[in-house]
Amino acid sequence: MSTVAPHRPLDTAIIAARDREDIVVGSEIVRHRRASRLIHWSVAVTFFLSTLTGMPIWTPVFGWMAHLFGGLSVARVIHPWAGIAFTLASVVMFFHWLGDMRFLPSERGWLGPKALEYMRYQSDDSEVGKYNGGQKLLFWATSLGMVGLLLSGLLIWFPRAFPRLLLEFAYILHDVTFIAFAVAIVFHVYLGTAAEPGTFGSMTRGTVTRAWARLHHPRWYREVTGEDSRRG
Amino acid sequence: MTNGWVDIKNADVILAMGGNPAENHPVGFKWFIEAKKTRNAKLIAVDPRFTRTAAVADLYAPIRPGTDIAFLNGMIRYAIEKKRYHEDYVKIHTNGPYLVGEKFGFQDGLFSGFDAAKGEYDKTAWGYEPDKNTGGYGVDPTMQHPRCVFQLLKAHVDRYTPEMVERICGTPKGTFEKVAEIVTSTGNAERVGTITYALGWTQHSTGVQMIRAGAVLQLLLGNVGRPGGGMNAFRGHSNIQGATDTGGNTEILPGYLKTPVGPQTNLKEYLETATPTTLNKQAWATMNYWVNYPKFMVSLLKSVWGKAATRENDFGYDWLPKTDGNYSWMYIFDDMYRGNSMRAGGKEPGPEGLVSFGMNPVGLGPNSKKMIAALSKLKWLVMVENVETESAAFWKAPREYEGPEPSKIPTEVFLLPAANFAEKDGTFTNSARWLQWKWKALDPPGQAKADQEILSRMILAVQDLYRKEGGALPDPVLNVSWSYTNPVSPDLAEVLKEMSGKAVTDIPDPKDKTKILKTAGQQLDGFGQLQDDGSTLCGNWLHSGVYTEAGNNAQRRSTADPNGLGMFHNWGFSWPANRRVMYNRASADADGKPWDPKRPGIWWNGLKWVGDVPDIKPDSPPGQFGAFIMLPEGVGRLFSPVLNDGPFAEHYEAIEAPIDNPLHPNVTSNPASKKFSTDKDIYGKKEDFPIVCTTYRLTEHFHYWTQHQQNGRLNEMQPGFFVEIPEGLAKEKGIANGSQVKVVSARGEIQGVAMVTKRMPELKIDGKPAWQIGFPIHWGFAGAPNHTGPLANMLTPSAMDPNTWTPEYKAFLVRVEKA
Amino acid sequence: MSAQSLEIRRSSASVWGSRSGLRTVPTVSKYIDTTTCIGCKACEAACQEWNDLESVATRQTGTYQTLPTLDSQYWNLIRFNERDFDGGIIWLMRKDQCMHCEEPGCLAACPAPGAIVQYENGIVDVNAENCIGCGYCETGCPFDVPRFHATTGKMAKCTLCVDRTSVGLEPACIKACPTGCLQFGTKDDMVALGNGRVEQLKANGFANAALYDPQGVGGTGVVTVLAHGDHPEWYDLPADPHVPILVRFWKSVLRPLGVVALFGAVLGAFAHYTKYGPKEVRGADDPNSNLPQA
Repeated sequence: MSTVAPHRPLDTAIIAARDREDIVVGSEIVRHRRASRLIHWSVAVTFFLSTLTGMPIWTPVFGWMAHLFGGLSVARVIHPWAGIAFTLASVVMFFHWLGDMRFLPSERGWLGPKALEYMRYQSDDSEVGKYNGGQKLLFWATSLGMVGLLLSGLLIWFPRAFPRLLLEFAYILHDVTFIAFAVAIVFHVYLGTAAEPGTFGSMTRGTVTRAWARLHHPRWYREVTGEDSRRG
Repeated sequence: MTNGWVDIKNADVILAMGGNPAENHPVGFKWFIEAKKTRNAKLIAVDPRFTRTAAVADLYAPIRPGTDIAFLNGMIRYAIEKKRYHEDYVKIHTNGPYLVGEKFGFQDGLFSGFDAAKGEYDKTAWGYEPDKNTGGYGVDPTMQHPRCVFQLLKAHVDRYTPEMVERICGTPKGTFEKVAEIVTSTGNAERVGTITYALGWTQHSTGVQMIRAGAVLQLLLGNVGRPGGGMNAFRGHSNIQGATDTGGNTEILPGYLKTPVGPQTNLKEYLETATPTTLNKQAWATMNYWVNYPKFMVSLLKSVWGKAATRENDFGYDWLPKTDGNYSWMYIFDDMYRGNSMRAGGKEPGPEGLVSFGMNPVGLGPNSKKMIAALSKLKWLVMVENVETESAAFWKAPREYEGPEPSKIPTEVFLLPAANFAEKDGTFTNSARWLQWKWKALDPPGQAKADQEILSRMILAVQDLYRKEGGALPDPVLNVSWSYTNPVSPDLAEVLKEMSGKAVTDIPDPKDKTKILKTAGQQLDGFGQLQDDGSTLCGNWLHSGVYTEAGNNAQRRSTADPNGLGMFHNWGFSWPANRRVMYNRASADADGKPWDPKRPGIWWNGLKWVGDVPDIKPDSPPGQFGAFIMLPEGVGRLFSPVLNDGPFAEHYEAIEAPIDNPLHPNVTSNPASKKFSTDKDIYGKKEDFPIVCTTYRLTEHFHYWTQHQQNGRLNEMQPGFFVEIPEGLAKEKGIANGSQVKVVSARGEIQGVAMVTKRMPELKIDGKPAWQIGFPIHWGFAGAPNHTGPLANMLTPSAMDPNTWTPEYKAFLVRVEKA
Repeated sequence: MSAQSLEIRRSSASVWGSRSGLRTVPTVSKYIDTTTCIGCKACEAACQEWNDLESVATRQTGTYQTLPTLDSQYWNLIRFNERDFDGGIIWLMRKDQCMHCEEPGCLAACPAPGAIVQYENGIVDVNAENCIGCGYCETGCPFDVPRFHATTGKMAKCTLCVDRTSVGLEPACIKACPTGCLQFGTKDDMVALGNGRVEQLKANGFANAALYDPQGVGGTGVVTVLAHGDHPEWYDLPADPHVPILVRFWKSVLRPLGVVALFGAVLGAFAHYTKYGPKEVRGADDPNSNLPQA
């Protein structure tokens, strides 16, 4: 029998991140408290469940995904319920983050030049608060998309309850919304992982490094630490 | 049918009137379609409703229920006026040239000879004019004599102008004239038309005369006896034709022989009355085939009493019951209800028990309340049935039927489970007179038994009781011949053999007395071999030949059709004598040449008649005998002095009608028709019940039977009772499609779903707008849960045709209310 | 005919069918002559019986028609329509069922591989084992035929009695028809029969008589003789049926575009990473930082 590993106490940052965010704990800053992270991940899980069960129904190109669930019929059964779960999670998320997601005048242009500048690492981020314009844009876009997916999904779920033409539009809406959504999520994941190292931790441990905060969200860094982000 | 189902394909014009064949005979209706597709035949539907038949007809004419005679007489007038009748045919094949005696007359709606007290006609007033020189009837071959039948007919129908037809029937004049034009387009040698009808004609107080009017029209047009022509009655059930052929009515024995009546105390008297005298002394003689009546009757008696029937005892004639009045079932139920017999002047008690095989009087009888009240007076009731019908369950009828409390009903009901049609073999005789054998498909369930076994067990048990205990009139009971291999459940093939006829002793060949035609025990070839000396037995002379030494001809299934007319002589057996078209001598002209060589019935080849089985002595040259061999005149009757309500058809209003008869308001309904007079026999006035109502059946249901199916597909397809209401009436009464309505007649009320439809035309009757409604008959209080419904006959009156005693189900008065 | 006719010409959500290409099988068709149909419903009963379909609950609502529309347990329905016409009325009866389109909208819309197939003889059939009950075929069908069966979770419709026709029998409905208004045979024969009847109708005064074999769906495996061919809607038939344009757009344009977009997004992210690398914190003064200097 192997010996039991010695107990290592949780570090203080993790403990602090259970209930509070936007605070400095040692060398780290708590960015997302546990509730925020749970909400995020429940949205993520239900989204991927919906996606993985929906994509094989969408096109046989992704037919293989159905095997993850025991076949296309099972995927078909899971998909609408996963969609409902995704909707519920998204609604909670919406109200959870709504307060942080108001656009500032300076964030105009994120639909166009600003996003490009950002991706080229040429943007001036000095006034970026806890969330940058892209994140806010994603928030609003996904919230809207969620409504689109829900409404069109319900129509598709109960086809005989609705007029034929409406139904045809529902298919289009469901697909268009999903495609937009999926493209956005690809970039969301990319930016949250590979493109911006250190970000992922904010949704796992809940914390980021001071350097990360200074780099990506300088104003937020200033507000949390009271320091000038340009120093240090 | 004079012709047959398949033969309809040979018609150029098909008039469907008094019937809805697409609805009620969808399988036979294929031949209508065949005629339409292959001959471009014109199908005309004349009906109160726009029916399923009308839906595929080339022309539809609406008509008020019960006014068909006016319509038909209007067409007869049209044919004569426009010379669109087949004159050559009329002259040689009808009694058009015959002179009628001076006693005949018609005035103010009454024919001569009417006895108002009895409500009956003295038919001797309608005799032909005797010709003292020839000893026959007077004739005028040119048909110009004012008292020749043709001229009398012309005068009689003269009142039926298109305007009068419109006034009585509600058929727009233009539509009527279109129908008349098409129908009379067959009044020549080149074209042929058929008339098809069913219960829409028979179930009226003038039912027989409606059919007569159709037959007269067909004779005028020269359509009787020809392939593609004829008068074709569609029977309501798969074997109703067989039942009628085999004595299913009170006034006939098997083969349409007459039921003996009281005064005919011996066989000789009976046969003298029943056998018509040949009086014709015209250019063409008549075969008057009924001169063979004694042969048919004696052979029937031999089949009933067997060895006990001898020349000495009149072949058991005395043992046959003799009627002393009307024993039609309507009268039996009237007696039952009143508790005494009308025939003995009300002195004898009414029936105390009833044995009913496959009949549901409560369901199908008019005036359901009276039917239930009548059964409630019986001591016992034996119902032999597939299911517990309304009649078997009459004692538990819902309150609205107003029967007595079950505890107060003395009737002991025995419900004997009977095998279904598919659970026994035997023959069906279809409307085309074809006897077709059917094979049993399943064993009957549970204790159910075939009818013949139930009947045999009853007979054997009664005989047993007579032997042990004695009783009144033992001879008929004990002498009945029951010598079947299995007397408890006779094999129906054996019964069919008996019906077809066999030699009891050797029969010598009439052409060569030294030879034997049939040896004792052999099956006969047909009724031509029957004898009146007791040497043959035959249960039904008309069916003779169905089972010969060659075997069971009802089982033949050859589709060989050499002339392409669909006669199929080697398929089953068609009575009489396997003839496919009756009166087929009339399909040929005076010289024996077919009127239409493309559609020959029979023709004279110089030596004999060939084609169909000839309806004439096969080797009698043209000109020897008239075509209508069963009539003493030998010709078709445009004037028929034998019916109880007149020699010509006259329009009478139904017993309940929305107007007085425009032709003769003082004689509005059929003066000879019969009604009852108990407290349950109430007849409504047009002031209280202004709407004409009719009843009918649906394709999806079989009579009162489908409602008993628990999971039947058919109940899905017609899930419940409904009332068809014209849109205008619905609007007037505020009745929405699918809502509940109440229909009330003088006798009761029923409720059902309103079917508001364009298919119930709004008619103008006697110049005023009139409504008509209708509903199907198929529901009742017995049946599977969720499939019961009101009995249509709750509303129908017990008024009857004076010839057949058929109730007037098809035209009566109601009012309609929102429920 | 048997095995050959079961070769698959088209299959839903699949690029190819599974035809061997060894033989040609004639396309079959039902023939419906509404002008000789008497609405007897023998075809309805035969369909229910042959296909062992459960009873459906019906009630009298004021019509001769058994049900308002087709049902997952009722694949064959006579539609009754009465209307005023030419001073009188007409009562039109038409047998409604799957039309077995040459270009089936249901098959086009179906996302489940092999759930809807078109056999080599033209019969369009639902393969229950592959059907996922999504109901897309309902939207794809211009004739409103397929129905979702709540208990089985599968779509159901007329199979043109593929079990009978594949062994050389006529479909059950055809077999039961008493008037011969229903026939079955090769498409060519049925069209010829129909054209003949239409000519006869025209000669009899029905100038607008027509054979309904709509080309919008490439023709149908049910050809219908209409006396009022200028008004198919009187028979509850679409005047110009085609696979819905949005369904076509959805399946033929949007779907491939979407797939491209998705892969494009992934590739785009990858390309971005290749070009720009991670946006990393390497210390503010890192000379190798790819970030613009503040």
